[in-house]
Amino acid sequence: MSSALKWPAAAILAVAGFFAPVLLGGSPAVYAALVLIAIFAVMSYGLDSIVSDLGEVSLAHTVFFALGAYVTALLSVRLEFNPLGTLAGTIVAALIAAGLLGLITLRLREFVFSLVTYAVAVVALTVASNWEFIGGSDGLRGIPAFEIGWLGFRAVGDVELWPVAFLLLLATLYLMRAFRRSRLGQAAIMVHLNPRLATMSGIDPQRTRVQVFLFSAPITAAAGWLYAYQRAYVSADLLETYFLILMLTAVVVIGRRLLLGPLIGVALILAQEKFWSFGGYVDRIILGSLLILVLAYLPGGLFGLVQTLAEARRRVAARSRSTSPHTTARKADA
Amino acid sequence: MNLTQQLINGLVLGHAYALIAIGWTVLLGVARLVNFGHGQMYMLGAFMTWYLVSRLGLPYLVAIPVAMLAGVAVGYVMQRVMLRLTLAQDLVSIMIVTLGFGYVLHGAAGLVFGSTGQILETPLSTRDIYWGDLWFTWQDIAIVLVAIAFFAVLKYVIENTGVGRTARMVAEDPALSLLAGIDVKKVYLAVFAFEGAAVALAAALVAPRTPILTSMGFDEVIITFVVVVLGGIGSVTGSYVAGIVLGLFTAFFGALVSPAYATAAAFGVLIAVLVLRPGGLAVAPGGR
Repeated sequence: MSSALKWPAAAILAVAGFFAPVLLGGSPAVYAALVLIAIFAVMSYGLDSIVSDLGEVSLAHTVFFALGAYVTALLSVRLEFNPLGTLAGTIVAALIAAGLLGLITLRLREFVFSLVTYAVAVVALTVASNWEFIGGSDGLRGIPAFEIGWLGFRAVGDVELWPVAFLLLLATLYLMRAFRRSRLGQAAIMVHLNPRLATMSGIDPQRTRVQVFLFSAPITAAAGWLYAYQRAYVSADLLETYFLILMLTAVVVIGRRLLLGPLIGVALILAQEKFWSFGGYVDRIILGSLLILVLAYLPGGLFGLVQTLAEARRRVAARSRSTSPHTTARKADA
Repeated sequence: MNLTQQLINGLVLGHAYALIAIGWTVLLGVARLVNFGHGQMYMLGAFMTWYLVSRLGLPYLVAIPVAMLAGVAVGYVMQRVMLRLTLAQDLVSIMIVTLGFGYVLHGAAGLVFGSTGQILETPLSTRDIYWGDLWFTWQDIAIVLVAIAFFAVLKYVIENTGVGRTARMVAEDPALSLLAGIDVKKVYLAVFAFEGAAVALAAALVAPRTPILTSMGFDEVIITFVVVVLGGIGSVTGSYVAGIVLGLFTAFFGALVSPAYATAAAFGVLIAVLVLRPGGLAVAPGGR
């Protein structure tokens, strides 16, 4: 598609996306599911830039997600900050945490990097369940409704929260697209695919890694920010493996480095869990198996599979077109 | 605080940690592979043993090999599914796939064994030994003895036998091993089957010390990380020493500071070591 056509197409898609809950029947369950899809998609995009572009597996992104939710809860309950204030606090906290983690893991690669990020997640879970200041195992309750006084905006339920969730999703999509076209995004992919070439081109791999981390963490944390308002309470369960597996599956299931990939991935997974659930344990098996099967057998994700099938069909069609006149000609000869 | 008692606790805990980490040590040191589902495989081993002993009434000594066989099956299936990734040395995907396997195992175990905690009682864990004012169980003694024996045999096999040499060669250079006529796929499958058996054995021995839950794998795996990384990634002797050091550290930290934060503190040690020495504590990383 030419770039002149791309913007109107994106605008139409965005408008259609905004009315998606109405198009799907507009029931409260639909709104609830779509708000969650938007939030979890934003959460996944943060990880997407690390896994798909930088080529590392961060298992600490649940920590950024929980951090956003906890900071929001603390600032809104204890200091009565409004949502814009809590968002600013969330971003600052995420930048600090990502900077620290980035510095610690600066020289670590591949599985040692993942190992340390996983350990960070485990420790965060221990701390969140035991530290009384942030509510311990009970968590923090009584997060006020999403309300911005000077705008006259107040969201008490999922229906009113949908525009906020959708805006956050759009902003994230825009950021991801801008990131992939930016010098940093290009540098990240070069560090990922050819570290030597990157170094020779004057790119500092360690600096790039930290910068991508600083870009990625606030996105995932912003998802935690909105999730805190949506749930009205936060607790240590935000650090459970479910969110990690959800993010990872969403990032790889459709295909890596596709702008809408994680969004579609999250939508598929949540649609199954919300509308065709088989109970918690079986849903776990389904989600985990999906992750395994895609990585083990579909390196290009579902999108790659569709492409391969389309390619094969085209080839079969082309072959039958090129052979059919031949055979008729031979028949005529006979 | 009774110093000697904590010392005993630390030593038992240390041998337990070393035993739990043995499968990972071999995976990493011998085959350059990782398994983030290790904790859930430990959980499965514990529940298999519990089910065989308390539900089917099998003797403990029969239940252990059966649980180990189940571990072999799980390890084999895992490696069979991701063989393409292993041969391509795609560590990033392997990590995610093994994490996915852990998640599936957790779901399956919840489905079969339920979400309530259980106590795995063995003939050894219920027999206490009092020695002055010191206390431990026969289970603790079994853990220490089995860990020492397992490490000694493992070290011998890796260093002095054909099997060990083959596995080490595959780790060093899979492509060259293939040229030398080694069935690389078979070696990878065998190493993962071994990991499954080793972690099931560790679970059958160590799990009686604490209540078991289907959600416990998440915590177990971090100990393994710390042991393996501190021990100098893949070093057998290093893992044994690191396990004991970590056990002593956890016991004393739990007694002196806070048991709830013991794992977090162990992780703090790991971070400090990694920042100072990314290769771990061993003199030659990867050395045996």
